[in-house]
Amino acid sequence: MNERADRKTVLVVDDESNIRMALQFLMEEQGYAVRCASDGEEAVEEIKKSPPDVVLLDVKMPKRSGYEVCQAVRSDPNLDQVRILVLSALCQHVAIEKATAMGADGYLTKPFSTADVVEKVRSLAAWSQQHHA
Amino acid sequence: MHERWSLRARFAMFFALIAAAVPLVIGIALWLAATRMEDNPVPPLVLFGGAASFALIGIIAWVAQLFDTHVARPIVTVSRDLQTLMHANPEHEIHENEARYLGVLGPTVRQASEAMRQLRSDIDAKVEEATRSLERQRQRLETVLRDLNEGVVVCNLDHQVLLYNQRALQALYFGGDLGLGRSIFTVVNRPPFLNTLERLRNRFTSGRYKNHPDHLMAPIVFATPDGRYVLQGKMSLIVDEREKEPQSYTLTFSDATKQIASLATRDRLLHDALEEFRRPLANLRATAELLNQSSKMPEDTRKEFARITAEESKELSNRLTSLTEDYHSIATSLWPMSDVNSANLLSCLARRYRDHPVLRCDVSGEPRYLHCDSNTIIELMDRLIRGILEESGAQTYTLEASKGDKRRYLDITWSGDPIPASTLDSWLNEQIENGAGNMTGYDVLEHHRSDAWSERVEDGRSRLRIPMPDPVTEHTKQQSGAPPIRLEFYDFDLLPRLGDSGDLATRRLRDLTYVVFDTETTGLEPSNGDEMISIAGVRIVNGRVLTGESFDKLIDPGRTIPKASTLVHGISDEMVAGQPPVQDVLPRFRDYIGESVLVAHNAAFDLRFIELKEKQTGVKLDNPVLDTVLLSAIVHDHTDQHTLDAVAERFSIEIPEETRHTALGDSLATAHVFLKMVDLLEANGITTLAEALAASEKLVQIRRRQAEY
Repeated sequence: MNERADRKTVLVVDDESNIRMALQFLMEEQGYAVRCASDGEEAVEEIKKSPPDVVLLDVKMPKRSGYEVCQAVRSDPNLDQVRILVLSALCQHVAIEKATAMGADGYLTKPFSTADVVEKVRSLAAWSQQHHA
Repeated sequence: MHERWSLRARFAMFFALIAAAVPLVIGIALWLAATRMEDNPVPPLVLFGGAASFALIGIIAWVAQLFDTHVARPIVTVSRDLQTLMHANPEHEIHENEARYLGVLGPTVRQASEAMRQLRSDIDAKVEEATRSLERQRQRLETVLRDLNEGVVVCNLDHQVLLYNQRALQALYFGGDLGLGRSIFTVVNRPPFLNTLERLRNRFTSGRYKNHPDHLMAPIVFATPDGRYVLQGKMSLIVDEREKEPQSYTLTFSDATKQIASLATRDRLLHDALEEFRRPLANLRATAELLNQSSKMPEDTRKEFARITAEESKELSNRLTSLTEDYHSIATSLWPMSDVNSANLLSCLARRYRDHPVLRCDVSGEPRYLHCDSNTIIELMDRLIRGILEESGAQTYTLEASKGDKRRYLDITWSGDPIPASTLDSWLNEQIENGAGNMTGYDVLEHHRSDAWSERVEDGRSRLRIPMPDPVTEHTKQQSGAPPIRLEFYDFDLLPRLGDSGDLATRRLRDLTYVVFDTETTGLEPSNGDEMISIAGVRIVNGRVLTGESFDKLIDPGRTIPKASTLVHGISDEMVAGQPPVQDVLPRFRDYIGESVLVAHNAAFDLRFIELKEKQTGVKLDNPVLDTVLLSAIVHDHTDQHTLDAVAERFSIEIPEETRHTALGDSLATAHVFLKMVDLLEANGITTLAEALAASEKLVQIRRRQAEY
């Protein structure tokens, strides 16, 4: 996905700068327009200001957790098209089920393969495009 | 030999002697008369003498018959009545009508029996009064033992079980059949017991126990014979204060199988983590440091190191994922949890709000088993419900244990919006009131490997959902694998060691252990294809029928059951469908009876069915057998009514209509009949097993000879 026909936007939300930088690089390399947020509160502001196509969201963050961000996005009908991919160190099946119940569209456990992230983001962005059109 | 003749036979013998004397006396008298007479008087004398002899013999036979009917038989009947009354059935009525020709004997016996009955009644009343308070104490002790969370078993020094509680039965049920008077080694492996007992006995003999911190107690870890279940607990030696020597030992224990397995898995996981992470981490660190530090690295080498870095990172990730999955798959945490019925758990919670001014909770849905620590879960849910009331104002809540595709949940549902994740987060970070220690809600959830969230459901309602671990054991409405609730679980009369009592045949009947059994069948002809469809047994130990230790199994006969037969025992084709076949049931029955003496009513019939299946099942019963039909004919020889109903009626034993002609019901009735018979057999001088078997055998031979005529 190196062609830049439609510049989809991805919001990377994580309080760890290393992974934020890596994900930003990875997504930009895949042709997405990338923005970043370092905690839950900033993420909600960014999403409301300009809804991205896909949010890469950590769960355990200061101020507001990833679950709270999910709940905030899903309670706003204007943000229906936003797809959320949770990237979390919590690997229990219960955590995945909880994220899904809170409104996440996908879940990857850290450490993850970059190929898996690219694949998931691609499918979520495609969904967003179909339903947004 | 003469003592062995019955009264009636002896009377008959007397009359026979008189009858034999008649022709002799008349013959001699006429011969003497003939020698003194001149003519030839022989023909008329022989004629008249012979006629007189026959007439007299006829009269004597008639009188003997009358004597037997009016005197001998009534005496025997009254004697048997007295025996039954004294030894077996105090309510038994004397057949006074039978004794109507015995003059004052009949009324006198009746008066004597009434006086005895009154005396016995007075004694019974006093005994009852004296034992009532003892009984209350006993019941308290039984309740405590039954409800103890630990298994308790008391054994004598021959390792025979004197007492066990319900928990012990549950824990050891899968090892074998735990029962009073049985060896503990039928359900546990032997070495740990012998070793620990020897240590304790040495400690006692040497007197070291007086200063020992554990006195006469030692920790013990043991397993079921197949090694599947590991149990840990303590063994204590019980010393009889009077005899100043050990008499028995107590074992208290709990099932440690899961804890030990979990600990072993955790140890292995930790070991694997330490060993398996070392290599990829070493490679990763080396290549990363070289990439970072070496500025003059050739491009090819840099690319190779970058490839190694990516490869080792992936390897590390894979191992971490696998380790985490293994860790979470360990079934239980070390936090004490048990399988709990959701109906009990949620009702207990709902009852808290009965007096609440506004809050109402209803329990809904099908009850399900959950594996949890019910106390902390109830406290957590209580905190959450009160939080939701404050947050949303909803006053009515539905509590339900639901089952999704993957797991079970505890759901609290109300009309209104979901709880914000941040609010729920703050509740779960609070300490739980009345919980053990200073646990937060998240701690409770962590013990259950769980989490909680709030989400919207249909009809403007929301729920708070808590995933719950599945039960450890499979619970069904009729749990066929579960041990039954037992009513008798101790017998300290077994304390004297039975092993010292010598050979089985010479032991007293009342000291033996019996299994009284019965079968139900498709018909009466085992040789013509009739099959067993049910077999049941009850144990008699120390003169007590242990109804709680019964064996009761339906058998799939592999053929249809005739309707006429179903009408008798109530067992239909549908009832036996899916039941185990005879080759599964009979080996279990053999294990159940062990070394016991077998007792059955018309035993030959039931044994024939078992015998015909010997090739198929490998079960050959060599145990001594007593038949209550034969024993009844011995103790009640004045009648030929020996059906189970007739015998039970003579002993005033009631057989409930609903259990009559069921294998277990008939076994129980036969067991009670047999105990009464043991008393009467003793009154007839038959006290040992050998004597009872000999008397039965003699009767069989007499009947066989009678049948030849």
